[in-house]
This record gives sequence, C-alpha cells and structure tokens, in this order.
Amino acid sequence: MSTSIEHPAQRAAPESPVQAALLSFLQSRTSTAWDVDVDLFADGGVSSLFAMELVVFVEQEFDVEVGGEDLVLDNFRTVRAMAALVERLREHARA
Amino acid sequence: MRVPEVATDLAQYVTALVGDAAGEWDRRGRLPLELLRELGASGVLCAEVAPEHGGAGLDGAAGGELTAHVGSHCSSLRSVMTSQGMAAWTIQRYGSTRQQCEYLPRLTGGELAGVAFTEAGAGSDLAAMSTRIEPDGDHVIVTGHKRWVTVGAYADLLVVVGRHGAGAAAVLVPTTAEGVRVEPIADPIGCRAAGHADVRLDAVRLPAEHVLRGAGQPLGWLVTTALTYGRLSVAWGCVGILRACLAAAAQHARTRRQFGSPLGDHQLVARHVAELHVSEQAATRVCEHASRRWDERSPDMVIAAVLAKHFSAVQAAAGAGAAMQVLASAGARDGHVVARAYRDAKPMEIIEGSSEICQLLLAEHAIAMAA
Repeated sequence: MSTSIEHPAQRAAPESPVQAALLSFLQSRTSTAWDVDVDLFADGGVSSLFAMELVVFVEQEFDVEVGGEDLVLDNFRTVRAMAALVERLREHARA
Repeated sequence: MRVPEVATDLAQYVTALVGDAAGEWDRRGRLPLELLRELGASGVLCAEVAPEHGGAGLDGAAGGELTAHVGSHCSSLRSVMTSQGMAAWTIQRYGSTRQQCEYLPRLTGGELAGVAFTEAGAGSDLAAMSTRIEPDGDHVIVTGHKRWVTVGAYADLLVVVGRHGAGAAAVLVPTTAEGVRVEPIADPIGCRAAGHADVRLDAVRLPAEHVLRGAGQPLGWLVTTALTYGRLSVAWGCVGILRACLAAAAQHARTRRQFGSPLGDHQLVARHVAELHVSEQAATRVCEHASRRWDERSPDMVIAAVLAKHFSAVQAAAGAGAAMQVLASAGARDGHVVARAYRDAKPMEIIEGSSEICQLLLAEHAIAMAA
C-alpha cells in the first residue's frame, strides 16, 4: 500500500476506462491512491472482506459474471489484471 | 404435499409443517429427518436457488423474510436453512457450471448439506485451519477434523473448506464416503435440534471433480464469500427470535395480572416491551438494507451483512433476556418459545464471526473509508 503513497510521481495513468473505474473505486474505498501495477494483496494491502467487495464491484460495474474458475487471486492482484479479466469476460460474452 | 411457489406460500407451508412441535424438537434435540427432506425437496431450505436448479428463486429480501419467519418458529430449523443456503451459495459462487448443475438440484431435491469451517485450533482465527485437500492423481485426499458442523448429524453432503496448494478450496464430501466419521454433539446450549456434529475426515479419497472449480484462492476469500450469505441468514434468524419474543412478551403483559392490573400497566415491565418492539423494528430495517444491497449486487453488501449480523445478534440476545424477565416462570421451562429464544440467541453472538470479530471488521471498514 505504501508504494503508491510514497512515489506518487511514478503513478502510471490508467490506460482504459475500465482501469480508471477500478482505480476510482479503490481510491473511494481506501482513501489511498493506487497504481495499476501495485499488488493489492501484498502485506499491508486490502483485507479479505475488501477482496469480496472488489469481486462484486467488478461484476456489477462492468456487467460481467466472474465464474468459479476466474475467482483466483491472480485475476484480482492488480488493477491491470482485473481490467484484463473484464475485457476477457466481455469478449467471451460477445462471442 | 403441494410444492409452494412463492414466498408467502412457502411461509404458510412451513407454519403448517412445524405446527406446535418446535418445543418438542428442542427437548429431544432432534428434528424429524422426514420433515427436513420434505422441506428440502420443496426448496424452502435454500430458497434463493434458481428455478432452473429446482429452487424457489427468491431474491435476498424475500429469502430473508422467509428465514425470519422460520426463525420465529424454530431456530434449529432456521439454522438448517442457514447451512443449506450457505452450501448452495458456495457451490453457486465457486462451482463450475457442471458442478452447479449436478449439486444444486440435489440440495433442492431433499438432500441435506452442511458447511465445515471450524477446527479445534481455528475458530475466529480461520487462517489457522489445518484440514488438507491434497491431489492424488485424478483424485484428492481430504484429511482433517472439523468441529461444530451445523446439520452435520443429518447431512448427506458437506462443503469442507481446507488448504489446497498455496491457497484454499472447498470440496464436496458425501458423508457416506469412506473415512468420514460424524460425531453428534450432545446438548448444545442453543439450536439444540440443528444437528451440530464434529466431523473426522481420515484420508477421504474423492474424485478431483468434487473440488469446487474456484480452487487455490486465499482462504479469506472463500470464507468471506460463504460467511456473507451465512451472516445475512443468521441476522434474519435473529429478527425471527425478536418477533417471537415480542409476541410472547406483549401477550403476557396484556393478560397476566399482578397487583390488581395487567403487567403492561407496570412501567418497568412496559419498558421491556417497548425495547423489544424497538429492537425488532430496528433489526428488521438493518436486515432489509443488507438484503437490498445483496439484491443490487452492491459491494456494500459485504460490510452490510457484517453489520446486520452483529446488530441483530446483540439485539436478539438482549431481547430474549428481556422477554424471559417479562414471562418469568411462565416461560422458564425448556421447550417454551421464550426459553428456546433465550438459549438460541446467545450463540448468534458467537457464530459466523463473533461480535468481537464483527466489531473489528466494522472498525477496519470505517477507518479505511475515512478521508
């Protein structure tokens, strides 16, 4: 968590609307600014309770369903990973 | 028996089936197995499961009201609903489509299920869990000792949470599998007929397809997911306890006379009735809010469920104590609705996250949200 606070100058700008929405949700829930590549679950990161809020947010905000096989840590570890999951699920829904 | 289709029908159906037997079930510490199977097959025990899987397809709000209704009659039966619903929810959330299609119809078809988290060394500290789910070719071997599994004594199927690789997984364990030993717990303080049991899993070998598809995630995720359903269900169950206590206390205050007037005319007694009324209403509103968040699929549902459970459990324990005080000797024998409420309410402050754990989660949430 401290990485993004200590090095605000290095914070990468979101590369997509999905990433931007995720960053905004994270910021509103933690009163902390996050980087798209920061490991949210590293020591001092977000709680288990928050992890589930994140899953529910992704589903509701982007109108996707995260099934059992996608409910793995690696898909939620960073904003970049979550955005990629959303794109993949949307892709899948269109197919 | 007609299979009811909507929430009010389901509630009436339960009322008719339970009748006035809850006291006797409590004294015997046993629910009739045939009744549980019939309720299970009607979909009442996990009423949120979709119709395509044989469920009633209730939303969270209607499911909550049904849970409170059952809880106002019999907390042991409500406790069975909580377990069955939590098992179904975990399968729906973490199971593959195939696993959902295989197992959910069984849970709406009369089979009974419990969820096994707790261990001797892992109560509030679930991270200390030692049950292992280890691969063995195209099978897994499940080894551990689970404590206080609700419905354990009746269950056909257990959703067992354990360590799996670097993370955790839930595995579906039939109680008939070799190596499973169910040891019913005698005389629990509350929900006496809910079939609490310790479960020994001695190298239980199962096909790997019994492991729910979402395996390997952190233990906390799995537990939070299952418990969010469980917390909402327990919270509504506490609303049921409060309704039963309010009804009994108000009726007694109106009819019982002392010092030449009804008890309700004595102000200190009237205060108990007023506080019970406030508790029942406030707990209902808090639960309704949490269920609305659930139905909206709002991220707030997670913390709202913690809040609802914590508030309702504390109110139920206090309210049952007040009702006992109003009823006095009239409610002082095991089996009486208020005596049951008095014993059933206390464990609600302990299960699905103790009041103290809930307070830590609520504080953590409030502090994280602070600007």
